Amino acid sequence: MKTINCKVLVLGAGPGGYVAAIRAGQLGLDTVIVDGQAPGGTCLNVGCIPSKALIHAADEFEKSMHFTGENVLGISVRAPSIDLSKTIEWKDSIVKRLNSGVAGLLKKNKAQLVKGWGKMVDGKTCLVATDEGDVTIKAENVILATGSVPVEIPSLPFGGNIISSTEALSLDGVPEKLVVIGGGYIGLELGTAYAKMGAKVTVVEAAERILPQYDADLSKPIMASLKDLGIEVLLNTKAKAANEDGTALTVETTDGDKTLEASKILVTVGRRAKTEGFGLEELDLTMNGRVVAINDKCETSMTGVYAIGDLTGEPMLAHRAMAQGEMVAEIISGMNRTFDKVSIPAVCFTDPEIVTAGLSPEEAEAAGYETKIGVFPFAANGRAMTMEAETGFVRIVARKDNHLVLGIQAVGKGVAELSAAFSLALEMGACLEDVAGTIHAHPTQSEGFQEAALKALGHALHI
Amino acid sequence: MVPPVLVKKGHKMSDTFDVVVIGAGPGGYVAAIRAAQLGLKTACIEKRETLGGTCLNVGCMPSKALLHASHLYDEANHDFEKFGLSVKGLDYDIEKVLATKDETVKGLTGGIEFLFKKNKVEWIKGAGKFTGKDTIEVALNEGGSRTITAKNTIIATGSDVANLPGVEIDEKTIVSSTGALELNPVPKSMVVIGGGVIGLELGSVWRRFGSEVTVVEFMDQVLPGMDMEVRKNFGRMLKKQGMTLKLSSKVTAVEKTGKGAKVTFEPVKGGDATTLEVDVVLVSIGRRPYTDGLGLETIGVEMDERSRIKIGHDFSTNVPGVYAIGDVVEGPMLAHKAEDEGVAAAENIAGLTGYVNHDVIPGVVYTYPEVASVGKTEEELKEAGVAYNAGKFPFTANSRAKANLATDGFVKILADKETDRVLGVHIIGADAGNMIAQAATAMEFGASAEDIALTCHAHPTETEAMKEAALAVHKRTIHM
Repeated sequence: MKTINCKVLVLGAGPGGYVAAIRAGQLGLDTVIVDGQAPGGTCLNVGCIPSKALIHAADEFEKSMHFTGENVLGISVRAPSIDLSKTIEWKDSIVKRLNSGVAGLLKKNKAQLVKGWGKMVDGKTCLVATDEGDVTIKAENVILATGSVPVEIPSLPFGGNIISSTEALSLDGVPEKLVVIGGGYIGLELGTAYAKMGAKVTVVEAAERILPQYDADLSKPIMASLKDLGIEVLLNTKAKAANEDGTALTVETTDGDKTLEASKILVTVGRRAKTEGFGLEELDLTMNGRVVAINDKCETSMTGVYAIGDLTGEPMLAHRAMAQGEMVAEIISGMNRTFDKVSIPAVCFTDPEIVTAGLSPEEAEAAGYETKIGVFPFAANGRAMTMEAETGFVRIVARKDNHLVLGIQAVGKGVAELSAAFSLALEMGACLEDVAGTIHAHPTQSEGFQEAALKALGHALHI
Repeated sequence: MVPPVLVKKGHKMSDTFDVVVIGAGPGGYVAAIRAAQLGLKTACIEKRETLGGTCLNVGCMPSKALLHASHLYDEANHDFEKFGLSVKGLDYDIEKVLATKDETVKGLTGGIEFLFKKNKVEWIKGAGKFTGKDTIEVALNEGGSRTITAKNTIIATGSDVANLPGVEIDEKTIVSSTGALELNPVPKSMVVIGGGVIGLELGSVWRRFGSEVTVVEFMDQVLPGMDMEVRKNFGRMLKKQGMTLKLSSKVTAVEKTGKGAKVTFEPVKGGDATTLEVDVVLVSIGRRPYTDGLGLETIGVEMDERSRIKIGHDFSTNVPGVYAIGDVVEGPMLAHKAEDEGVAAAENIAGLTGYVNHDVIPGVVYTYPEVASVGKTEEELKEAGVAYNAGKFPFTANSRAKANLATDGFVKILADKETDRVLGVHIIGADAGNMIAQAATAMEFGASAEDIALTCHAHPTETEAMKEAALAVHKRTIHM
């Protein structure tokens, strides 16, 4: 059997893993990265990226539908149609380019990619089943970056018409009736995209409102937009079981059981850390519930074994995993680093989008702060008016005593691209006066950020 | 001296104000609102029938509305089939496009009127003129005049289109930016004189609606004053979109013909002249400070060599109690610069310490892709002898840009070689205008490139290119 000795082994080539491997390679560490699928993990292959491509296509299609009728822009078209197989082909071509991009980056930085599913034998040894036979990898340091998998509902196992987000990104046609179980961000992003492409979408959510991880002020504009798109949202409703061929779903509502017809049933009730299938049990690491326990250096309970990304729990976000991966590679190379981000921004790519960075008003209160809150609506922002993007607002949460900004949230079209300004302000320890005193370009949506700070200070200019 | 109260029409009103702002553009109306918020009795003199100045009426805002509509049309025209979308009979109705633009303007200017009422700013409709250092005579739009006493005055009269000598703008065939917002029918062909921000934005609008657009620019690249690498790359993108660029060329004659105009230009270095006959000529060679008829000479306000009002750090002129902000003073002619100066001037009058950091004023060009920059260019740093590192990251390597079919452009960060402090950020990209806010915030904090690199940037967003450019400063990008 072939044996490879290395300084760093990364198990899993998702955003956390491949970034760790690239950074380790940059730092001159002899690095091997193992994954059974094309490099890029869930994010690139069946997650963030393909969903954004589909969302973009759906947005454009919706616009073109909008142009078939009376519209203020004066643009007209007839008979827009979308050929989903072509859309998927385009999306696949993007994914493929990104896959080979990551492979190229690993190579450029001299990290060796071993294709195959790896299994840890002990804290320093991994057995990989590759196409050319088994390979043993012996490493001084191991970075576990196995990610997460969609949660299955026991009574609704994946298969046939019952699909996860993975299959939802590769359908061969727009389903006539799509039932989405779970009103979290994944379900709403995909549900919105398919509704825009013409599917009749029903969202089934067990809680009393959608996007339960966000506060009600943030989810309200999304709820309104779902309604505008003709998406039916059933709250306080539990999915029970599907019929044999998966064309109908029984749900339990507050008024008793109900049956929903479905061409596809998309289950998006969350993701869980992938803790099985790669020999985690052999390592006997200390767990934190269902995820691997780590400290602020991403060290596990076993010396020389690190864990990053979704395997270590919430927030399950690619950029958190990447930041952790970068840091662990630097720690292994001898640098003194800790994970001390003030802000790990989160974006929900619904329409409008939601961005959160730092603490929400409730979280700030729970942390014992007295707060000052400023909200500025995009309806009073000139740029938003010219872009038909008046929904939503920017909200800033600051300490009452010294005006230190604790958190920034926004809902609105395209606010994802404001997230970096929010994060940077939080990381630099900005006060309200700092945000208010920074000149923001006119006319941009980012002026909403400055105005929210002014509002919190009691002297907004444009409301 | 307290002048007699002279109200020839309307009610008798109190005519002494703590603050009088002349001009209700972005600088003026913001100054007035801020002054009123601070408890000062404030009036704003504006002769236009709507508030908001050039920016809201015939500038930034209406052009953005046209850019939005024309961009959507362009997208439908060129991008749809790439991802399996097809439409038939794509068309636009220019009447409607223009009507929507007018609606947007109406909403915005009405909004300012509301803000004036809310903040108790009195709008005096007319043209103001200093008759003494604290007295202003307003020629009222409704007829007659009114003399007011101003304990403090903020001059915010903005700027006007700069004319090309010998060329008469009729706003039909030979237009300024104002007329270029009203073209109907869409010209088949158009020459844009001046490849600056305004010319390229409005040239883009009409190019997208089908006009054949030729830009004649005196300098060797478009967007004079911006970073050279940005200028070169952006020029190439415009050409790829179908705009014709005649660089290093000077216009020697513009002549109206029966159905359009003839424009003659020749290489700056000398050489054969070219004449183009087109439907419409847009003159967009710049703007000049507008202080006509203000009576500045009466009170002896000092001007600089470029006819701008000289001010100190607190926006005061040499005449006590008279302040000036925005396009009539030194600095880039940008609405947001004027706004922040307006706030600062109002605060200074109220006894607070208002100031503006003129080193960190972002600028945005709303073409597609957008161009945005803040701080120093490479050329400026070289000239000043500052050693720097440049880090650049292209959107072709950014996954959100790929998914949005928006891979044109890059982010470039310039950082001090020794301290790593960010000195300038230059972006060409679909959403550059929003992205520049982060760069401005970073520079206000004196951030290093490393500070940006260590900030967690959400995935997948175009802002990740900012982080990667910061990493590129240290030659350690992850995704390139």
